[in-house]
Amino acid sequence: MIEYVDVHKAFDVPVLSGVDLTVETGETLSIVGPSGTGKSVLLKTTLGLIVPDRGDARVDGQSVVGASSRELQQIRRKVGYVFQYAALFDSMTIFENVSQGLPDDVLETLDRKEVVRRVCRSLEDVNLDPAQVLGKLPAELSGGMRKRVGLARAIVGKPQILLYDEPVTGLDPVNTAAVEHLITEIAEKMGVTSVVVTHDIEGALGISDRIALLDHGRMRFVGTPEEFRGSQDPLVVAFADRHAAAAAALKIMEEP
Amino acid sequence: MRVVVATAKGALRSLGRISLGVARHAGGLGLLAWRIASATLAGKVGLRAVADQAYEMGVLSLPLVIVTAVLSGVVTSQQGGYQFTSSIPLYVLGSVVAEGVILELGPVMTAIVIIGRVGARVTAELGTMQVSEQIDALLSLGRDPVRVLAAPRLLAGIVVMPLLVGVANTAGLFAGMVAARATVGLGYEAFLYGASLFWHNWDLFYSLMKATVFGFIIPLISIHMGFLTRGGAEGVGRATTASVVFMIISVLVLDALFPPLFLN
Repeated sequence: MIEYVDVHKAFDVPVLSGVDLTVETGETLSIVGPSGTGKSVLLKTTLGLIVPDRGDARVDGQSVVGASSRELQQIRRKVGYVFQYAALFDSMTIFENVSQGLPDDVLETLDRKEVVRRVCRSLEDVNLDPAQVLGKLPAELSGGMRKRVGLARAIVGKPQILLYDEPVTGLDPVNTAAVEHLITEIAEKMGVTSVVVTHDIEGALGISDRIALLDHGRMRFVGTPEEFRGSQDPLVVAFADRHAAAAAALKIMEEP
Repeated sequence: MRVVVATAKGALRSLGRISLGVARHAGGLGLLAWRIASATLAGKVGLRAVADQAYEMGVLSLPLVIVTAVLSGVVTSQQGGYQFTSSIPLYVLGSVVAEGVILELGPVMTAIVIIGRVGARVTAELGTMQVSEQIDALLSLGRDPVRVLAAPRLLAGIVVMPLLVGVANTAGLFAGMVAARATVGLGYEAFLYGASLFWHNWDLFYSLMKATVFGFIIPLISIHMGFLTRGGAEGVGRATTASVVFMIISVLVLDALFPPLFLN
């Protein structure tokens, strides 16, 4: 379970202004909202990559704020993070990149064959052919393949929680559907808790147990996809309906 | 009167901003050095990573270091020869070249080469990793960027720099000796006699001590500036430029502190 308790964060201007949210074990929750409302910042507080100015993020009851480096290490072992642009290590091959997802103490106990086997299995789990990609550098892969390698790196250590930061940004519709299918498949197969930050509302409604709408640093809506679709909140309506969003955007542009 | 007060206030504000910036960087450098020392003493730094960085910094920098040292030795010898001819015994040129190269030109010119070839690259490399979230990725995978990225680069700098300065001193001295013979006709024996006249063994130790300090400060600043990088490609460019300026000034200031501290 992940709990965000009264999370505040400012970078010159306030980004998060008292976010409260609980993600239950095993559920898939998508966080949507306008650009710059702090969705990725909230996600990064889960691992202590960004420290809240006030409030706390807790993973299975363990506080991130004030955690020692050993405690942070324990939290990070439970969590896999899929970055917006995959954040693969440029100078390493795909094999080396994915094997980085195995904790040091696990790596020390495994022989090379077993490491290769685990890396290959993770790549297969994300529908990549290990024989084709293992020896390549990230720059030699397409954007969609890089995202899938990022996902393979996140799952190779068998985490209990997966955090996705804009997993489909910049992908064509075919790759978008493939990545969204993978998110659902991995959640079911591994039984992980998933938090997905996304702009793709259609995809979010398809893969999520619950949707959270973040606006101006606060949670504006949290509910099931059905509740989201049925909401009368103008911002939720604008997000749920692309045509309504376009009309709202036009209205804003026409305002003097 | 108002103009004077406003100008004074502006100057004080600027001074405060600069002091705050210097204090922030000094604190950051101190903390980084402490974390690297802790990781090293705990035996958490991979020897392979240090060796890879030493190869990058040392072996691949060798040609440029030698060319720079040879040219420094040749120029010092030629200018000394031009000034000494028919005024001072020419064998004194050996001492001028030897002391000039070993005490000053060898360490400083090598440091400038390493700033340009290695320091700038380290800042750009780590800065790019920072803005493309690769550093965050390391942290999310439970790996400490200080242990994985910073410590090998700093340790390699400390090990490699004295070796490079040793090579630069030898190359500069030899080039100066050859140039003295070619330009003013000073024989090798006379040159070496002159060089030995004012020679102290301490001079070599002083030269290598400078090299070690430069080998510590150049990677430290370049890593620190890389980790601080924000703001995409433009941010990487800004950080790299600032880092090079910061490293050059630091090396020159430290160089100026060495004679009063160690040559009395």
